[in-house]
Amino acid sequence: MTALVSLGRLVSAELRRLAATRLPMWGSLAALGSGGFVGLLALVGPENFDPPVPGLDTAPGVRMLLGLLGMCAFVPALLGTTAVASEYRHRTITTTALFAPRRWTMLAAKLTAYAIAGLAYGLIAVTVAGAALFGAAAIKGVVLGLPTATVLALLSRIAVTMAVYTLVGVAVGALIPNQVAAAAILGAYFYMIETALLLIPGVKELYPYLPGGATAALTGFTFLADALAEQMGGGATSLLSAPLGAAVLVGYALVAAAIAVIAPLRRDIT
Amino acid sequence: MNTGSWDIEVHGLTKTFGTVEAVTDLDFTVSPGTVTAFLGPNGAGKTTTMRMLLGLVTPTSGRATIGGLRYTELPRPAATVGAVLDTSGFHPDHTARDHLSVYARLGGFARSRVREVMDLTGVTPFAGRRTRALSTGMRRRLHLATALLGDPRVLLLDEPGNGLDPEGIAWLRRFLRELAAEGRTVLVSSHVLSEVEQMAERVVMIRDGRLVAAGAVADLYGEAAVRVRSPQAGPLTTALLAAYPGTVRVEALDQDTLRIHGLTTAGIAADAAARGIPLHEITPERPTLEHAFLHLTGHDQGDTR
Ligand SMILES: Nc1ncnc2c1ncn2[C@@H]1O[C@H](COP(=O)(O)OP(=O)(O)OP(=O)(O)O)[C@@H](O)[C@H]1O
Ligand SMILES: [Mg+2]
Repeated sequence: MTALVSLGRLVSAELRRLAATRLPMWGSLAALGSGGFVGLLALVGPENFDPPVPGLDTAPGVRMLLGLLGMCAFVPALLGTTAVASEYRHRTITTTALFAPRRWTMLAAKLTAYAIAGLAYGLIAVTVAGAALFGAAAIKGVVLGLPTATVLALLSRIAVTMAVYTLVGVAVGALIPNQVAAAAILGAYFYMIETALLLIPGVKELYPYLPGGATAALTGFTFLADALAEQMGGGATSLLSAPLGAAVLVGYALVAAAIAVIAPLRRDIT
Repeated sequence: MNTGSWDIEVHGLTKTFGTVEAVTDLDFTVSPGTVTAFLGPNGAGKTTTMRMLLGLVTPTSGRATIGGLRYTELPRPAATVGAVLDTSGFHPDHTARDHLSVYARLGGFARSRVREVMDLTGVTPFAGRRTRALSTGMRRRLHLATALLGDPRVLLLDEPGNGLDPEGIAWLRRFLRELAAEGRTVLVSSHVLSEVEQMAERVVMIRDGRLVAAGAVADLYGEAAVRVRSPQAGPLTTALLAAYPGTVRVEALDQDTLRIHGLTTAGIAADAAARGIPLHEITPERPTLEHAFLHLTGHDQGDTR
């Protein structure tokens, strides 16, 4: 009970710390931007892309736009990394460690605070994107290629993905206190390393459990999984269910966080 | 809970960074009620010792405790111990007030404490300024304010005078003496003796990570001496040594100047007059801690307790 009260206190302090920086402003702009970007694409219409892809009135067209939004989950992850790594960069970590010397409590508080912030980010992004999607369909006089309930479900899954990615970002930032290195490693993994890994025979079987595969399960955007299946033959890779995918991602965040807590226990703050 | 005394205790404390022995088998105790100076030249191991006391650096061996407990074992660490270690350590976007309110929440202290510590430490005039725009002295004050949020019984300050102007240092001295007089334990590190000389009653001196001396400032002062200039320095020396065998010591500083130990100015003047030796100058040399400091840390490698 007292542990919960003190965790609540630390979470509120972390939110206060975050709120007083410029990150919420940049975060909101980025969320509006990524939602707006997808909205813009919807307005232009996928059928007008070069090369043209299925339009808004088709299921693949809508899924592709939502998939693009899902890929923007990388941004809140970076923001999470930045926020935590800045504690090391500005050396506020010393005072923080003095006020909350039990480091697992500290990191638990940060993870909770940033899950809240990440969810807020996700909600802004999907609200803008959703409004734009339905708006574009209305302007063009077409009906979206997916049932409204499905679109809303996918949008909320993307919001959750963004929250979970923020956690992953926070955990990576805590693990690798160098802000630039942490961001570079995060980016390199998602955009290059995982795809490269899949070229190794046998690794494909693991794909559902890799961060990318778990993300695909969560967002329902299976472009990469489908492409893999096509290239390698052997039938479609079966992804995890959305909740399991989310659990796997949270698992990665927790493992990174656990290492981040255990490592500094032996690391001196000098 | 500790109901008795908030002593800072260091026993057999040792820290090695790779091959560097930063602190070696250090022992000392700091008691409440007075300011204790923690003195040593650059690289002596002051910061490392303080960081070990605060649980930021893990000792290689030995114990560093506050009120009998390790920092991380204290039930409410930030309400027990206040520490100032750096001049950095602020988020540049935060205002001074933001910074304090984040840590007031983190420590679970009342919101009203923010205003109180700002008034106490003189932060109020720049409370709304972003920390990126603060001067070194302002940062010092803000760190001190942060350390005081929990109204701690114990204060550990690493070179708190750095970056303060003379007025700021005078203020800090008064302020820390008052805090100590309220029964707090106050340990202040410095490599500049004059900075702490006027506020500390006790001192712990270290060099190369080892204890050099510890005790009351008064006990560490060198003995008093008198500086005498006379055209007959030689005959005066002979006369004094003959008159007070074993109790007087005379150093020849140059051809006509002597430093005489073991006699008062009046005594020397009377002796010289009785022998018709003219004196051109006779000045009492106040013993200084500076002397003791240089002497102890410069030459005596061993433990002189
Ligand atoms: N993180 C570290 N890694 C390696 N060596 C270190 C580290 N921190 C301190 N040292 C070494 O330990 C010794 C003591 O350093 P420390 O900072 O404790 O001295 P100090 O008395 O605070 O000096 P100053 O008056 O210059 O602040 C020095 O030789 C220093 O180089
Ligand atoms: Mg130092």
